[in-house]
Amino acid sequence: MPLQILLKDIPNYHEIEVYRQHGGYHIFKKAVSKKPDEIIDEVKKSNLKGRGGACFPTGLKWSFMPKDNSMPKYLCINGDESEPGSFKDRQIFEYNPHQLIEGTLITAYAIGAQTCYIYIRGEYVKWIKLMQKALDDAYAQGFIGQRMKETFDCDFTTEIYIHKGAGAYICGEESALMNSIEGKRGYPRVKPPFPAQCGLWDYPTTINNVETITNVPEIIDKGGEWYANIGEPKHPGTLLFGVSGHINKPGVYELPTGTLLTDIIYKYAGGVPGNKKIKCVIPGGTSMPPIRGDQIEGLKMDAESLKAVGSAIGTGGIIVMDEDTDLVKVLARITKFYYHESCGQCTPCREGTGWMLRVLNRILDGKGTSKDLDLLIDIANNIEGHTICALGEAAAWPVKFTIQRFRDEFEARVGREIILPIANKVHSMRTTLEPLTDIQVG
Amino acid sequence: MPIVTINDQKFEFDSGETIIQVAERNGIDIPHYCWHPRLSVSGNCRMCLVEVEKMPKLVIACSTLAMDGMVVHVNSLKAIAGREHVMEFLLINHPLDCPICDEAGECKLQDYAYAHGTGESRFIEQKNQKPKRVKLGPYVMFDAERCIACSLCIRFSAEIAKEDQFTFVQRGDRVTIETFPGKEFDNPYSLNVVDICPVGALTNRDFRFKARVWDMSDTKSICPGCSRGCNIDIWVRNNEILRLTPRFNEAVNDYWMCDHGRINCFKFVNADDRIDSPMIKKAGTHVSSVGWDEAISKTVSTIKRFKSDEIAVIGSPFAIVEDNYLLAKFARQVLHTKNIDFIKHINPADQDDILIREDKTPNSLGAKLAGISPRNGGLNFEQIMEGIKGKKIRCLILIEDDVAAISQDFLDSLSNLDSFIVFATNNNKSTELADIIFPSATYAEKNGTFVNFQGRIQRIRPAVMTIDLDRSLDAMSLSRLDKFGTEFDRWGKARKINARSTWRIILQIANSFSMKFNYETSEDIFLEISQTIKEFDGLDYELIGELGIQLKSYQLVEEPILV
Ligand SMILES: Cc1cc2nc3c(=O)[nH]c(=O)nc-3n(C[C@H](O)[C@H](O)[C@H](O)COP(=O)(O)O)c2cc1C
Ligand code: SF4
Ligand code: SF4
Ligand code: SF4
Repeated sequence: MPLQILLKDIPNYHEIEVYRQHGGYHIFKKAVSKKPDEIIDEVKKSNLKGRGGACFPTGLKWSFMPKDNSMPKYLCINGDESEPGSFKDRQIFEYNPHQLIEGTLITAYAIGAQTCYIYIRGEYVKWIKLMQKALDDAYAQGFIGQRMKETFDCDFTTEIYIHKGAGAYICGEESALMNSIEGKRGYPRVKPPFPAQCGLWDYPTTINNVETITNVPEIIDKGGEWYANIGEPKHPGTLLFGVSGHINKPGVYELPTGTLLTDIIYKYAGGVPGNKKIKCVIPGGTSMPPIRGDQIEGLKMDAESLKAVGSAIGTGGIIVMDEDTDLVKVLARITKFYYHESCGQCTPCREGTGWMLRVLNRILDGKGTSKDLDLLIDIANNIEGHTICALGEAAAWPVKFTIQRFRDEFEARVGREIILPIANKVHSMRTTLEPLTDIQVG
Repeated sequence: MPIVTINDQKFEFDSGETIIQVAERNGIDIPHYCWHPRLSVSGNCRMCLVEVEKMPKLVIACSTLAMDGMVVHVNSLKAIAGREHVMEFLLINHPLDCPICDEAGECKLQDYAYAHGTGESRFIEQKNQKPKRVKLGPYVMFDAERCIACSLCIRFSAEIAKEDQFTFVQRGDRVTIETFPGKEFDNPYSLNVVDICPVGALTNRDFRFKARVWDMSDTKSICPGCSRGCNIDIWVRNNEILRLTPRFNEAVNDYWMCDHGRINCFKFVNADDRIDSPMIKKAGTHVSSVGWDEAISKTVSTIKRFKSDEIAVIGSPFAIVEDNYLLAKFARQVLHTKNIDFIKHINPADQDDILIREDKTPNSLGAKLAGISPRNGGLNFEQIMEGIKGKKIRCLILIEDDVAAISQDFLDSLSNLDSFIVFATNNNKSTELADIIFPSATYAEKNGTFVNFQGRIQRIRPAVMTIDLDRSLDAMSLSRLDKFGTEFDRWGKARKINARSTWRIILQIANSFSMKFNYETSEDIFLEISQTIKEFDGLDYELIGELGIQLKSYQLVEEPILV
């Protein structure tokens, strides 16, 4: 049986008593016997990288928090989990809620947060209930809140609340998440300032993914060094791979980083129905660049290896597409998602997502030309890097890379270029600040 | 001091300043829509993308702090391309209804499309459709298709007007603006959003579709709505005022003005009830129009019938310093009366800590300083009214105010007068009782000065021609139509009122009493004031300039100017 850190084959592990029988809530006791900085150092040593998509080193993120404990500080646990292809955090809510709670307590202690929010997407009605039950149980036993002082014989207390999302993908973006908690419109904030300086209600705040935090108790229990040796050294630990699409046994698999993609697909998830060939795999949720079927042989699933093939690990949501998949349709559907979810705050993403969708729909209708494919890549490039938050990239990457990597398939769906009578064509690219009148009409 | 380099020029800056602030301070233009010096930074339009050396991506100048040694290129190829892309995105769903858009001619989207666009559209899809005529409140109309979602209007309302009344709804390119349920966008400053909206999404319901911007002349003036004296531009087409807009003056009104000033403080100039010639009451019946000479000689002969302590003079906080000065001089040197005062118009219920002042006149302080006060035992306003009631005061000269409108009691007393001489711009309750009426020019038809509540003296200038004022000869501001309009488009056939500055009328009356007052212009009077009244010592119109000047020897009103 592969190593289990996050999801354990222990019956009823989600129940507080079972969790306690296996050493639960003792690790926090161990944690408070150390200084907060020692906890941060231990997590730094473990080389744990954030599981929310960006792989940011967790210990480093915590060390940005000011040490001054006289002002309010906050911890937000990001369980918005709205990226298509991602469904791992809800396994933790369902099967290992107390390890998440204990991880939250340890993190709060390390950064000095007196208040923690677990932000759960609103559609997760069942999982919100399960998580609330776990919190209630932990409160009842004095593991959270004011009674922590007696329970753990320490000075530190913290409160944990669940905050329900209201159905917006963008609220998973950390600064939109904070606005959402504050009761504001889910608009991402302009960074800097970063949350560690100016977060919830302008106070220092740390935001971490559910899976990231669930790793923390084991790291404190068994040591950073132990953790750093699991899987790929530059991106250690186990990952919850959510496998979906054309696959015989879709589901969430906990495996060490660096596991071969082919092993995940064929050994654990039962292969492709009808033994069809794989045309395309999206390795980390729909916003990550897709990889071609002929790239997957020998490909290891970790941040570095995926970077080498021009993609990224994202949330570890693997979407497998067989040889009969219509990628134009797939791309139009993915683009529709980001179009629907763009918060509309900044110009390139607000306007660009809708434009890309309309071009793709036209191609689906058989009215596209090869020029439209270049246009799509151009729009994607013009969104990328010019927006307030990374939803810009999330929308641009699938378009850009799917077309680039599967150009043949897209070319086969578009006609020859039609010359449209655009009367006002002056020139195609501005390279000076000279007025238009000085530029030759071609 | 730390140094930042922008476009190869080195600038010192204070820590905490953003790139755009340093650039703006030094006259370097970084294109932007959503940034405003007085509002929080939202960073949403992305137009101010600039290239900073050693930074991998373009950054927005409005939120990126200047750092020591930072090297910024506003016009590198990469930055130009970035702006070009933003322009393309902004235009794809824009309706481009410039031909029927009030903003055209002063639209940032137009200007930047010209300066930073490609001149080509690659967008061949269906544009978004959104509501085009949404009444957000009593004055502001919203066109959702033109909106570029810069959030300036929302931030203005929350941060300056301090009323949250509307917000964005929907997401993505469906984003639009709605008032909160049960709320209207009706705060006292709502129309400022029309000025700051970079496009024609927010329009002034009082002005929509009245004129193309370039067909109007604009004249720098002062709003007469209260003693703040907001600096304004008066916009005139075919000799008719069509709108007022605020003019930036950090010391007085910043970038703003209130809706009352904007909506209510110019219509009387164009109104039908303007007094359009001197008038005399003949044989106890109605007044009828007469020539200037007849009215003046009638005035002289009338006044001569009274002893000086039977005469009272009421100046005006609505009139300019020069009018009041000459009136006071006339009263003292010609009429030899000490009964001189003006009426205060105070409404303590209508004042806030933004702009609006309880004194509803533009020049109370100026009137007082110019000598409109009952010195040496003269009667003040209340005593004058008592005197009229007791028939001790038999002749009253009233300029630019309306005594009869104040109370029924006053109205009744006025019939005791043997002679009531009124200078007025429009018909009012007092002109109805007057024996002689002189048509005064409004604040929009003359040169002159007001002193606001802070003790700041500011200039008004003629924007509208009267019979005596010619747009070209008197160097008034000209619009494109004023310069190039022809008879063919019936240009220049507008109504001109037969009115004069109050001081000019007083001058004529005084000289008919064989005085030798010798003033050609209001500035001639002002120069005399600056030599005789210490608060105005050494000032002239040029010194006062476009933004006014604090009266030096006047005790500065110690109140926060703006919050
Ligand atoms: C559009 C958008 C949506 C996101 N949604 C999620 C999400 O649902 N869950 C999550 O953990 N992180 C999400 N993120 C990433 C968060 O902003 C943030 O980086 C993360 O929660 C940090 O946690 P980590 O350091 O533990 O990975 C999203 C980011 C973007 C730009
Ligand atoms: S990139 Fe998109 S989602 Fe992010 S702030 Fe801009 S408009 Fe909103
Ligand atoms: S807002 Fe500007 S660009 Fe848009 S229609 Fe009006 S004038 Fe034209
Ligand atoms: S209405 Fe005007 S000011 Fe308001 S968000 Fe739209 S474009 Fe900006």
